[in-house]
Amino acid sequence: MLEQSKKDKVTSDLLASIRLTNSFKAWMAFLSISLIVCLGAYVYQLNEGLVVTGLGDYVSWGMYISTFVFFVATSLIGMLISAVLGLSGQKWAAPLARIAEIIALAFAAVAGLVIITDMGRPDRLLNVFIHGRIQSPIVWDITVVTIYVLISTLFLYIPLIPDLKICSEKINKLHPMAQKAYKLLSLNWNGSHEQEQILKKLTRSIAIFIIPVAFAIHTVTSWLFANTLRVGWDSTIFGPYFITGAFVSGTSAIVIAMYFFRKNYKLEEYLSLDLFDKVGKLLVLVSLVYLYFNINEYLVPAYKMKKYDALHITALFTGAHALMFWSVQFFGLVLPIILLVFNKMRKPLPLLIIASFVFIGGWFKRYIIVVPTMEHPFLPIQNVPLNFKVYTPTLTESLVTLAPFILVLLIITVLSKVIPVISIHETIESLEEKNN
Amino acid sequence: MFRINISTKIVSLFIFSALFSINLSAASWDVPADKKSKNSFIKFNDASAKEGEVLYNKNCASCHGNPSKGNVLKSLKPTPPDLASDGTQKLTDGELFYILNTGRGLMPSFKNVLSENERWKVIAYMRSFNKKYVQVLSNTDPSKSELVKVNMQYDAKSNIVTVKVVAKEKTGTVVLKDAEVILFAKRYFGKLQLDKSMRTNNEGLAYFQYSKDLPGDKAGNVELIAKINDEAYGELESTTKFKIAVPTDKPSLTEKRAIWNVLVKAPIWLIITYSFGVLVFLGFLLYLVLNLLSFWKIGKI
Repeated sequence: MLEQSKKDKVTSDLLASIRLTNSFKAWMAFLSISLIVCLGAYVYQLNEGLVVTGLGDYVSWGMYISTFVFFVATSLIGMLISAVLGLSGQKWAAPLARIAEIIALAFAAVAGLVIITDMGRPDRLLNVFIHGRIQSPIVWDITVVTIYVLISTLFLYIPLIPDLKICSEKINKLHPMAQKAYKLLSLNWNGSHEQEQILKKLTRSIAIFIIPVAFAIHTVTSWLFANTLRVGWDSTIFGPYFITGAFVSGTSAIVIAMYFFRKNYKLEEYLSLDLFDKVGKLLVLVSLVYLYFNINEYLVPAYKMKKYDALHITALFTGAHALMFWSVQFFGLVLPIILLVFNKMRKPLPLLIIASFVFIGGWFKRYIIVVPTMEHPFLPIQNVPLNFKVYTPTLTESLVTLAPFILVLLIITVLSKVIPVISIHETIESLEEKNN
Repeated sequence: MFRINISTKIVSLFIFSALFSINLSAASWDVPADKKSKNSFIKFNDASAKEGEVLYNKNCASCHGNPSKGNVLKSLKPTPPDLASDGTQKLTDGELFYILNTGRGLMPSFKNVLSENERWKVIAYMRSFNKKYVQVLSNTDPSKSELVKVNMQYDAKSNIVTVKVVAKEKTGTVVLKDAEVILFAKRYFGKLQLDKSMRTNNEGLAYFQYSKDLPGDKAGNVELIAKINDEAYGELESTTKFKIAVPTDKPSLTEKRAIWNVLVKAPIWLIITYSFGVLVFLGFLLYLVLNLLSFWKIGKI
C-alpha cells in the first residue's frame, strides 16, 4: 500500500496550480486586452463586410480557412495521446492525457468559430442548418466538428470526475460556490469499486469511439478541398495527408504546453525529462510519416506536370510561393526531424524551440495548401485588378486571425486553473500499481 | 448546320483583313442598290432606341463595345468598328440593315436571331449617337403582314414539308410569289433551320426537305416555324405543331437523386450513411448519459 504521505504530496503538488496568482492575473489581463483589440477588428469586418480582408472572387479562402484547418488538425492530438497511445498500452503517455484533451477541446471548439469569421454574413449561419444539403462536405464537417467537440468535452470530463471530488475537498480557502460546483460535477464519486468500474468502462469506450470521430473530422476537412476538381486539391491521399499533418502540429502543440505547465506550475517531477524525450521521439515519428506524404503529394504531380498542375507546382517550387513553401518544408519538417534525432535536442528547452518551429510551420503549411490553389483557377482570370489575382492579407484580417489563437490560450489557461492538468487519481493509481 | 468551314473562315478572314487594312468604308460591304435605299418603318425615337439598347447590349456589345466609348474587342482581326464612329454613321439605314441581315467574316447574321422590328430598333439605338442624323421613314405598312396566312403540310411519303403563303386581302386571296421562306424547328434555345431558305413559286408554295432524325418531345411533337419575308407584306412568322419527330425522353439532370441535387433528392446511400453516423453518435451519447446516471445513483447511497 502506498504511504498516505506520498499520496498527500501528489495531491498537493498537482492541486498547487489551482489558485489565483498575480502572474496569472497579469497573463489573463494581457490575453483579454489582446482579444478585445482583435474583436474590435472583427466588429469592423462585420460592419464593412469581407471587403476589409484580402479575400475576393478568386481567392475566397485565405488566412481564416487556413487557420480553421490548422485548428482542426491540432485538436486531433487528444485522440492520438489519450486514445491511440492509451489503448495501445503506452503508459508513459498517461500524464499527458489531460493536457492533450484540454488542447483538443480548446482547438476544436474555437475551430468552429474560425469558420464564422470567414462568413461575410454570419447572421445567415442558421441557413446552413436549415437549408444545408447532406451532399455537401461542409454539412458533414459541421456535423463531425460538433460531435468531436462534444466527445472531447466528455473525454476530458469523465476521467476528471474523481479529481473534481478531490478539488472540492482538498483545496484550501475555496469559495463556497466553487466548492459546490466541484461537488456537483463530481457526481457523488465515492471511490467504490462499482463506480471505478463504470468510470473505466466509459473512459475506454470513449477512447475507442473518439478514434473514428477524429479521423472523420479531419478527413472530412480534407474533403472540403479534395472533393473539388481544383489543382493541388484534387488528390486521393488528402485524407491521410491531413491526418498525418494533424499529428505533427498536435504533437508540437503538446510540447509547447508541457514546457509551460512544467515551468509555471512546478511540475518537473511529473512532466519528467524522460517524458520530453519520448514526446520528442514521437514528434520525429509523426514528422517522418508526414514528410513521406508530402513527398508523395508533390512529387507525383510534379513528375507529370499536367497543364494546370504545372502552373500550381511551379508557383510553389520556384514561383511566388517558393520561399514560403521551401521554408515550411525545411524549417517546419526536415530540419526538426534531423535535429530531434539527437538526444540533446529532446531536452525541454531545445525541444520547445524546435516544436515552436514545427507549430508555426504547421500554420504556414495550411496556408500553402489553401491559398495557391485558389490563385490558380481553371478559367483564366481576366480584366480584374491585381489585388484580385494575388492574395494579400490585410491588417484587419491578420488581427481577426490572431483572435482564435488568443481564445485558445485563454481557454487552456482558464481550464488549467480550475482543474489539475495531470490526473491526481490516475497518478496515485499508477504509483500504487508500481508499489505492489 | 452552324458549322463554319475552317478553310472558308480562313479565306474570308484573309480577304477581310486585307479589305479592312485598305479602306474601312461602306464599299467593302458591297450592298446592292435596292437594299441600300431601304428605310425603316419604325420611327427612331427615344422609346425605340431604348428597346434597341437592350438588344444591342445582349447581341452586339460583346464585340462592338459601347457606342462612342471605343471599347471594342481589339483582339479580333479585323477590329470591329465603334458603331458611333463616322465610318459607320455615314452608312445608310439600308446598308446597316443589310449588314445586320447578312453578317460577314466573324460577324454573324442576325436575320434569324432578331426580328425585323428588333433589327430596326438596334439601328435606332445606333442612330441615337448621331446628332446630325435625320430619319427617312419607309412608307411600308407593317400591319400588312397581318393579312398573310401560312399553311404548312407534311407529306410522310416524300418527307417534304410544304409551306403555302397567301394574303387575305379584302378584294380576295392573293398568292405571295417569290417570297422568301425559311423553315425552323423550335428548340429549347433558339431555332434550328431546316433545309435551305426557299422562295415561293407561282402558286405561293415552298418545299422543304424534312430530316427524319429530328428529336421531338416525349410524344414526338415538334413545332415548325415558317418565317416569311416579302417585299410587299414584310416579315412574319407562323408556327404549326406536328407529330413527326423522334419521341425523345431525356429526364433533366435535376430530376433524379444526385450529388448535385437539392436535399430531398439526395442519393439514398448518402442519406443512409449520414443518418447512420449521426444515430450511432446519438446512441453512444445515450449510453454515456445512462451510465453516468447509474454512476451518480450508486454514489448517492
